[in-house]
Order: sequence, then structure tokens, then C-alpha cells
Amino acid sequence: MIKIEDIHKSYGSQDNRTEVLKGISLTVGDGDCIVVLGASGSGKSTLLNVVSGLEYPDSGKILYDGTNIAALSDNERTKFRREKTAFIFQQYYLLPHLNVEKNVKMGADLAKNHDYIAAIAAVGLSEKRRKYPHELSGGEQQRVAVARALAKKPDVLFLDEPTGALDETTGRQVLDYISRLQKELNFTVIMVTHNTNIADMAKTVIRMNSGKVVDIWQNETQKTAYEIGW
Amino acid sequence: MAAKHKAAQSAKNRRKTSGITKIKGFTLPQQPTHENKKENGQTAAGMILSIGDITRSFGIIIISFCAVFVCTLFLNYNTDLKSIGAQTLQSDVQNLYNALVMTGKMVSILSGGCLLLTSAVMLCFYIRHYVDTHGKMLGILKAMGYPNLRIAAGFSGFGLSILIGSGAGYALAHVTMPQFYRMQNTDGLLPEIRIRFHPALFAALVIVPTIVFCLLSVLYGYFRLKTPVLDLLKGKVSTKIPKEAKDRENAKKSSLPFLQELKTSTRRQQKSLVFFVGFASFCYASMMQMSFGMDELASWMMALMIFLIGVVLSSVTLFLATTSAVKANWKTLALMRAFGYPDKACSNSILGGYRLPACIGFALGTVYQYALLKVAVMFVFAEVEHVPEYRFDVPALILTLISFTALYKIILHVYTEKIKRMSIREVMMGEE
Repeated sequence: MIKIEDIHKSYGSQDNRTEVLKGISLTVGDGDCIVVLGASGSGKSTLLNVVSGLEYPDSGKILYDGTNIAALSDNERTKFRREKTAFIFQQYYLLPHLNVEKNVKMGADLAKNHDYIAAIAAVGLSEKRRKYPHELSGGEQQRVAVARALAKKPDVLFLDEPTGALDETTGRQVLDYISRLQKELNFTVIMVTHNTNIADMAKTVIRMNSGKVVDIWQNETQKTAYEIGW
Repeated sequence: MAAKHKAAQSAKNRRKTSGITKIKGFTLPQQPTHENKKENGQTAAGMILSIGDITRSFGIIIISFCAVFVCTLFLNYNTDLKSIGAQTLQSDVQNLYNALVMTGKMVSILSGGCLLLTSAVMLCFYIRHYVDTHGKMLGILKAMGYPNLRIAAGFSGFGLSILIGSGAGYALAHVTMPQFYRMQNTDGLLPEIRIRFHPALFAALVIVPTIVFCLLSVLYGYFRLKTPVLDLLKGKVSTKIPKEAKDRENAKKSSLPFLQELKTSTRRQQKSLVFFVGFASFCYASMMQMSFGMDELASWMMALMIFLIGVVLSSVTLFLATTSAVKANWKTLALMRAFGYPDKACSNSILGGYRLPACIGFALGTVYQYALLKVAVMFVFAEVEHVPEYRFDVPALILTLISFTALYKIILHVYTEKIKRMSIREVMMGEE
């Protein structure tokens, strides 16, 4: 379980300080699928960075099964990320000089997962495992990023606008892979997006505006990637 | 109706003369006319390199500085030495005269030639790096219709770094020249040699290299700009992998751990950096050990000069290679940190691959300096009396090895700390 208590985060120098997160408190259950919605500048990506341990909050607590990661040292947080989390970014961030297999190994080696080929197969890229990122389409590259993240066997998967650079068809395909694998492996998903339709796939939806949570609701039924609008 | 038509025409004309074309709410610069093409061409070429880009090529500045400093001292001395007339000297002094002339030629050719060649390699490295990192800007210029040659002409600015380095080297050589002349004739066997300014030497060491390097910059830039526009815009220039490398890679089984794979691939992708790391350790090993031997064979000034050049040259080259390796892999490092790889593993995977080239460079440098001094003692100073026999200096080797390892470790440590302090968020958001 993740418990977020009164998180504050600001950027900039004293004269030009902007408070991006203004006292956020949330609870995320194990295996939940959370979608964070909000316009550009609402603070949703900052929330993701802080909750995932990429950045320190200015104040507040982020408790993972009782451990406050905001109070951990840099090395301890690195260890926390290594053991608990995985990321999927809008721009994929694949390593350009390594082929698909070796990119996926990046995640797999951290979890000592020798069956990384299964992760590649799970996203339907077995045939392309020897291809390099620039030889793949955007959708395929994002599926490699999915495989890389899941080969790490994370407890929590963080996604920052995972379909932001994809067209509708490939976007749906990527979301479908993520949602099917989440149900199978039961990890927690925290996804940030500005696409309101994706919210229909989540169990819990959080809407943010100007650094605050303005709305939280639960979907009675979760739609599949092919049932949501675009 | 006619008035309305006139107003529309006038509005159309106004849009034309303002140089802006409006398409469905977007504002695009108008196609360059003959006049503004000329103006824009100058601006584009001027905008390609900033003063910062030129000063960032400090590696070239330092190397050309060292090369011209050494060459100016020795060649100027040689030219002035010849003016006293060898035939007027007694036979024992004649040998010293010949040895000094030979030393000057040898040092100038070996040091100057090698360093200028390295500057040329470094220049190509800078231009390649520039094209890789400024692909979008260059792609836009190409897409707008600027010819490759005109864009490449902007790279001639890199030649200015040679002018700065060689000019400074030439000037400093003239400042230290009285002391150098005295050192060359401490026994007073030769008549007093007056320092003269040789315009031909200035042209050969400062003007000609600047022109040659400007031309080389333009030619190499032109060659690099032959990349298709879309590849430049999409940043595919630096990620292209040759087919043979791909085949070789795919033929291997992925049995190596990821960090090992990354280390190998980083080294393979950055061959020029392999050269520079090897070159840095070569310079360090050869010049440091040579400086120990020089104290006995020549003078303390010569020893100090070689020592300083060795330290500066190798530190700068090593620093440059490390900086480039880290910069080129900044996103990879950020991603690795996001995934939870420890800081040491991150820096080791990017910088650890250069240990072997450093060792090879060091070994070659050691052999080179030994062979050079041995040959010099055997042949050049063969007929000069009281020249001590040159033996391999083991303590000097150990001292050089320890100090080089320390230098290498310090640079690695600095970068590990830098990686530790990187903001993953800023890198991922492209705010590096």
C-alpha cells in the first residue's frame, strides 16, 4: 500500500518560486490502477516523480508499506527504485545502440530475471528482438519500453503519458498490453495522462489542477483499451 | 465593389511585403528572395557556431598551443643557429652544432607533427559531435533550402580555435625564447645567438595551420552534412549502426550481463574517444618518463617543458574524452538511475570501457619514449662528449603509472559525483 501524506513541492529560486504540489494526500491500494488527469502544468508529472522516488518532496510523507521514502538517503532511494518500481515514459527512452533484447535485459538484470525473452514475447515482439530501436515504429518502441519495465518485475509501474507520442491504434494496443499484463501479474499502476478517455480504464481516477487534487472517483467497471473513446 | 477588391489587393500586397506568409493560422517565414537569401545566408552561417562553441573546443586550442610552442622554440633556434655559419666552428663544437640542429628538427617533427595530426582528429571529432548534437538546427536549415556548402562554411569558425592556440603558443615561445637560447648554450661553446623574428616561420606555424584547419572544417562539415534532412531532424545521425556491426552483434548470444553489454557497445560507438583516451595515456606515459631522462640528457628547462606539456595535454585530452562520453550518454545514465542502477555501476558502464585503451596507450608511450631517447643518444649525440648512457628508468615508470592511475581515478570520481547529482527529471524532460 502507498500512502501519500500532505506532499508539497516547489521549484525555482526564492524570488521566483512556484509551488507545484500544494498538500497532496492519497492512498493507493496494492494492485490498483490509478489514472492521474490534469492539464499541462497541473502538477501531475511532478506528483509521479515524487511518488516514484525520482525527486524529493519539500515536505510530507510517502509511505510504501510503512517506509517513508521521502526520508531515505539517495542510495537508499536508488535501492528502493531498483527493487520496487519501473517506469514507462512518453519518449520511450530506449538505448539506441542496443537491440530490443538487450534493452529489455536492462530491466531484467536488476530483478535477476533470466526469462526476459518471455517479457518480449508478452508484448508480441519475439520476431523483432534483434532489431534496433530506430528500426521499430513508435508503437513497437513503446512496447519494448513496456517489456523492459515488466521484465524488472516491479511492485509499482509508473507511466508518464505512455500514449502521448502514439496514434490511436498503437496507443490502444500499448494500453491493452499494459492492462492485460497488470491483471496477470497484479502490480500497481500509476499513470499520468491528459487523455480523459484513458480514465475509463482505471479503478481510481484523480483529477489535478494547480497543484491540488480537485476530484477523485472510482469507476464501477473498468473498460478495456478497445472500449474507451480516443 | 471595386474599392473592396482594391482593399483586398492592398492587404495581399501588405502581407507580401512584410515577408510573412499566413497559412491557416500558422505563420511561416516566406521563401527567401534574392536579397534576403544573401542576408539570411550570412546570418545562418554566422549562427551555426557561437563564441561558446569555439571556446568549448579548448582541446584543439591546448594541443595546437603545445605544438606551436615547441615548434617555434626549436625551429626559431635552428634558423638562428644556422645564421652563425657552421663552417666557422671548430670540429668539436661542430658536433654539438649538428646535434642541436638534429634535436631541433626531430623534436619539431615528432612533437609538432604528432600534435598537429591529433588536432586534426580532434577537430573532426568536434564537428561530428556538433552535427550529432545540433542535428535539428542543421536539419531545419537544410529543409529550408540552404545548400550544404553554405552551412558547412559556418564550421570554418572551428579553425579560429587553431588561430587562438597557435597564436598563443607562438607568442609564449617568443617570451620564453631568451631563457631557452641561454639553456641551449650553457657551456658557452657556441657564439652568442641573437633572437630574430622569422615571418616565414610565423606564416608556417600560425597562418597556414589556421587556413588549412578552416578548410578542413568546411570539408569535413560538408561531408557530415550529406546526411538526409529527416535523419538530422529525427536525430538519427548518432544512432545509426553499421550493418556489419549489427550482424556481428546479432550473431553473438546475449549471454553477457546488461552492464557489460552497455560498456562494450559504448566503447564501440565512440571509437574516437577510444583514440583520445589511448592518446592521453600515451602522451602522459611518454612525456612524463621522458622528462625524467631529459634532466640528465638536456636541461632542467627542457625536462620541465616536456613535463608540463605532458600533464596539460593528457589531462585536457582525458577530460575531453570523459566529458564527451558522459554527455553522449546522459540520457542513458538518467534512465539507469531511474531504474535503480547504483551510481558506481552507471559511471562504470559508460567510462569503464576505456581502461583497456588507456593501458595500451600507456604501454606504447613507455616503449616510444624509451626507443626515442635510446635512438637520440645512440645516433644524434653519438659524437658529442660527456653524454650519459641512457637506461630504462624503472622508478620513473612506477611513478608515472601511479600518478596516471591517480589522474584517471580522479576524473572518474568527478564524473561519478556529477552523475550522482544529476536531476533525472530534468534530463527526462529534455532540460539538460
